[in-house]
Amino acid sequence: MLKNRFFPLSLIAVAVLAGCSSMPRTNPTLATATSNYESARTNPQVTKLAPLELQDAGNAVSKAQAASAKGDDAATVDQLAYIAKQKVAIAEEVAKQKNAEQEVANIGAERNQVRLQARTAEADAAQQTADQRAAELKTESARTEEAKTQLALSQQEGDRKDAALTTAEAKAAQDQALIDQQDEQLKALHARKTDRGMVVTLGDVLFNTDQASLSAGGINNARKLAEFMSKYPQRNVIIEGNTDSRGSESHNQALSERRADAVKNALVDMGISSDRITARGLGESSPVATNDSATGRQLNRRVEIIFPEGSTSANSTR
Amino acid sequence: MSKNNTPPELITGLQRIGLAFAVTLLMAGCASTPAPTAQMAVAKVEVNNAMSAGGNEYAPVQLKAAMEELNGAEKAMAAENYEQARAMAERAEVDAKLAAATARSAKAQKAAETVKADVQVLRNELDRKQQ
Repeated sequence: MLKNRFFPLSLIAVAVLAGCSSMPRTNPTLATATSNYESARTNPQVTKLAPLELQDAGNAVSKAQAASAKGDDAATVDQLAYIAKQKVAIAEEVAKQKNAEQEVANIGAERNQVRLQARTAEADAAQQTADQRAAELKTESARTEEAKTQLALSQQEGDRKDAALTTAEAKAAQDQALIDQQDEQLKALHARKTDRGMVVTLGDVLFNTDQASLSAGGINNARKLAEFMSKYPQRNVIIEGNTDSRGSESHNQALSERRADAVKNALVDMGISSDRITARGLGESSPVATNDSATGRQLNRRVEIIFPEGSTSANSTR
Repeated sequence: MSKNNTPPELITGLQRIGLAFAVTLLMAGCASTPAPTAQMAVAKVEVNNAMSAGGNEYAPVQLKAAMEELNGAEKAMAAENYEQARAMAERAEVDAKLAAATARSAKAQKAAETVKADVQVLRNELDRKQQ
């Protein structure tokens, strides 16, 4: 009878034990979930950045563990453990996402900083280049100005020189015209052109025999010379007296000098400045013909009046 | 011999409770569940979210798992295997959530890498110019 009283109780016990439950044993999914949760829980990134998801995962792990401890069937524990494992993974992913977003924000600021630095450096470099260019331009501009001035100056110089040249050319033409004119006139005086200049020869007949005084013809010639010389005040003369070889050299020397002086004095008397006249005697030293014939000797007895080329008052020695 | 009927006086208060307990247990353990339509809906929503979040590109493995679970759940629903349908739908939901989280985190990490690389390039440029 006692056995019968306890029968329903034992029936209950068996039912509880052998019913839809299983003996609690280590569930691999639950073990994984629990260990993963432990890692996440001790990861500062996860605790800081995904606290809500971590808590949700923790709750899921507890629920699975409770089911296991309670002795729920394997399928139930598996299901709860799987869900818990996935929720731990979700918490970890959310933490990674938030961390990356923070990095983007931080590095974004850093990138802007670096960009600003780069732009500033660029701007500075550009400024430097611009300043350099401006300085170069300034130098170039100064150089150009200088060159312009130089050009203007040299142009002025050139113009001046041109003008001077023109003037000189005109003067030279003028002088030449004058010389030509004079040469014509001297030719009228029977002057001939030699390498010493124009030469007028006063022959022997123009002097009194063996004397230094000029004959009437001589004086006439002297007058023509004086006219010429007063017309052209720049021209100077050299008067050279010559004799034939009759008589002594010293006698002839003295005579030639006296004759040259006679011509000089005649010119001076006619108003020509003695500064313009050089008179000298060459004696018998410079014959133009043979002394062996009378004709020759007569030719040698002469006074030559030389108008040197280029002889002007500027060249004469005072 | 007389019939061995359980005389009412044998069922004491304790035994009554115990019996009720056992019945409850049996019922709880082996009871049939209603169709998990709400859970199915939730699972579908989460799978769509995961696709929108770029799960295809950034979390293909997790998304595939979620979609397979969802398919299984739908088949179980059709077969009126509601226990299995609920369980699979729950797994589909959590798998889809994980796929979405993985996709978002992958995108954010990619963006961080890009920005880091940009800064490095800029730094190199700056250093080169300042040489």
